[in-house]
Amino acid sequence: MDLGLGRAELDACVTCALCLPHCPTYRVTGFDTHSPRGRIALMRAVQDQGAPLTTEIVESFDTCVQCRGCETACPSGVPFGRLMESTRERMVEAGYKPPVRIRAALRVLDHHKALQAGSSVLSLAQRLHLTPSSLSVPKRLPLRRPAMQKSGDDVHLFTGCVMDAWQRDVHVAVKQVIETCGFGVAPTGPGTACCGALHSHAGLGDAARTQARQVIAALDDDRPVLVDSAGCGAAMKDYGRLVGSSEAVAFSERVFDVHEWAADHIDGLPSVEPLDLRVAVQDPCHLRHVQKSHMSVRTVLTPFVRELVELDDDGLCCGAGGAYSVLQPELASSIRDRKTAAITNVSPDLVVSANPGCSLHLQQAGHEVLHPMELVARALRGVQAD
Amino acid sequence: MTVSRAPSGHHGAVARRKFRKTNTDRCVADLVAAIGADRVRADGASRLLASTDASIFVGGHAGPVCFPESTAQVQACVRVAAAHRRPVVARGAGSGLTGGAAPLGSAVVVSTTRMNQILEVDVDNRVAWVEPGVINLDLSNHLEDLGLHFAPDPSSQQVCTIGGNVANNSGGPHCLAYGVTSAHVLAIEVVLSDGEVVMLGGLDAEPGGYDLRGAFVGSEGMLGIATRVAVRLTRNPRSIRTLLLSFGDVESAAETVGAVIASGLVPAAIEMMDKRCVAAVEDFVHAGYPRDAEAVLLVEVDGLPGGVELQAQRVEEIANRFGADVRVASDPEERALWWKGRKSAFGAIARIKPDYYLHDTVVPRSKLVEVLRSIYEIIDRHGLLVLNVFHAGDGNLHPIIAYDSREPGVSEKVREAGREIIEVSLAAGGVLSGEHGIGVEKRDFMPLMFSDSDLDHQARLRAAFDELCVMNPGKVLPSPHSCSDIASLNDAGEDLWG
Repeated sequence: MDLGLGRAELDACVTCALCLPHCPTYRVTGFDTHSPRGRIALMRAVQDQGAPLTTEIVESFDTCVQCRGCETACPSGVPFGRLMESTRERMVEAGYKPPVRIRAALRVLDHHKALQAGSSVLSLAQRLHLTPSSLSVPKRLPLRRPAMQKSGDDVHLFTGCVMDAWQRDVHVAVKQVIETCGFGVAPTGPGTACCGALHSHAGLGDAARTQARQVIAALDDDRPVLVDSAGCGAAMKDYGRLVGSSEAVAFSERVFDVHEWAADHIDGLPSVEPLDLRVAVQDPCHLRHVQKSHMSVRTVLTPFVRELVELDDDGLCCGAGGAYSVLQPELASSIRDRKTAAITNVSPDLVVSANPGCSLHLQQAGHEVLHPMELVARALRGVQAD
Repeated sequence: MTVSRAPSGHHGAVARRKFRKTNTDRCVADLVAAIGADRVRADGASRLLASTDASIFVGGHAGPVCFPESTAQVQACVRVAAAHRRPVVARGAGSGLTGGAAPLGSAVVVSTTRMNQILEVDVDNRVAWVEPGVINLDLSNHLEDLGLHFAPDPSSQQVCTIGGNVANNSGGPHCLAYGVTSAHVLAIEVVLSDGEVVMLGGLDAEPGGYDLRGAFVGSEGMLGIATRVAVRLTRNPRSIRTLLLSFGDVESAAETVGAVIASGLVPAAIEMMDKRCVAAVEDFVHAGYPRDAEAVLLVEVDGLPGGVELQAQRVEEIANRFGADVRVASDPEERALWWKGRKSAFGAIARIKPDYYLHDTVVPRSKLVEVLRSIYEIIDRHGLLVLNVFHAGDGNLHPIIAYDSREPGVSEKVREAGREIIEVSLAAGGVLSGEHGIGVEKRDFMPLMFSDSDLDHQARLRAAFDELCVMNPGKVLPSPHSCSDIASLNDAGEDLWG
């Protein structure tokens, strides 16, 4: 079966195995079928040698978190993320569709108002103790969301789907920090409902491209687009390849992770009393392994907290992976156990993560997790209160 | 944790294996009964992946793959295999370079990836008991706060396992000063082919009897399966200095190696990379390796601060005599980046060609220049491409022939060039393998180095441990010295996707 994989991209793997320890699923199961090298070998078997898509091969592909830690580890530069996205897209075309509930959930992401309304209903239900505890949403969804007024036209702040519904506090904090730097912020709002990252990961390529075109069309100017969700930022920086138009390429070049942008404008922030906290930095994979801008989180956060501590797990995934923790709950939780051990090891006061999915996944394991910008904003507010 | 099935109803159409009551099915059923269903994978995908390692050898054929979590479960796997007259092959990370872990004859594969616990660290005696699936670098990272490490550091140390290190008597850059795996393994708990558990070696300074531990280290899985290993821990050096020497020609680099050792210095490591290799790794690590140099040496000296300073100066003086440009790593980050480049060399080859074949011969240091010249000459004559990256201080060569196996006739040329490289190395007084093992890839070269009588004695030692020759058969010893019929092992057995 043709998985749409380029010869040169497949050939880039010389099966050296250096990716194995950087793969979260291989780390927890020890199965070669759960390793990047193994998955590539199975892609070759399916595409080049006519192997059938057996249950186990489908499982091998399905269990990939798409964290892309293997890309950072690969000396040959295998574009694993692209291989896996293409594989999943062809599998969907061949009838191996994601579960109905996931497809339904992804459809809601495209509809900003419906998502916000649904989220409020869910929040009310939580307050009335009507929701099962196993539901993969924050324990206490916001009933009301603080309004976000446009303060200028210097930069766009991409607000997105789930994050805008569940974690608008983060957007508010980010907006405050950018404004303190001296820039006017235009929140993108309902016009850019969803970046399409989750669709893309699930193999729903057409839906992802539709989302991408919508976002590009809605932000049709030359101002920077700042993103405070690592997963969305990674996807939007890849629009050029996904959509393939010169317009999309130009758009991708305007996309910045908010820390990346803030690190370049940190001189605009006042010197304030650092928060008296020992903070562990959890790098979202799509910030560290895809955007490779994780160091800017440290640059931005260092002046505002007493102590930053690193985890000793070499950037291994936490198991959140967008919808992964819903699709593969057992694996996601085993992977998270390793992250929990790494966090416990450094006994921080709290953890920061620049991706909503990671925050949520880690919060569900009992960690206190904030977005880095929430801490910066808190420190800045301390000054204003004095 | 059970992850052997995707959640039910996840995908509409799934291909299901036709159920046939074969010998394999009965063997699988017994393995499942012995160690549990979630520790046995007998599907085509798992078997396909367990049939290879990181070498170019593709003739492996795996039977059921087992993931035991204890010595008792390894015993159980071996006993079930014996009952079904199946060979047994132990597998770590599958990062080997000679097909050593590639099973022949539809063997039962015993993967050690789930036996990955560091059981005990005795700081006072500097000994750790570990399971065989512990990753080499994980062990050293675990010991970092104690100021200790496991000295053998193969380039694949971020993935290779202690069990694999024991099987291949692995080396690594720092083995120049610290010695290879054999010098760092004190005792090994082994499951023999009949399921008996024995302890080889011991923690005493001089364990009684023959040194069976010494026989086991480097035996490539043919004597038994290691289930617990007592490793010696080495103190981290107080001070380290890492030098990057760039040369205008390969000969000067090789002569510098000889001169450094001849001066009485024993650096912790002396590694060489030639120009092509530098280009490939620099594209990956961006460590500031000089792309215009014909060869670079990575030299590390360690010990007490004063002595390290002096040694580094001595190395620099000698290098200057051979026209080297010398840089010293300015901080631990730069040092780490240089080493990352060196240790990623094999994997970075795909930036040049999709396939590689490498040899692992060791030659006397005094013959380095001559042998290197011959290697380049052999490669040119065959119209091939070679990258040289190796443990220069030990004279342990790793010529990597990079090629594309789809080009007609090229594989034959690569094999022929490989053979010539071995012949040149042996003629210079060298040996067939420094640290990667013989496996199946270099098995048929053994008679170039050993007489019939040598090989017979090796076969007899093997038979003393494993009378029926069921542990990793068909490896190391060529026919007719191997007690199994290698030809019969090559029969493919059942269809993977049947």
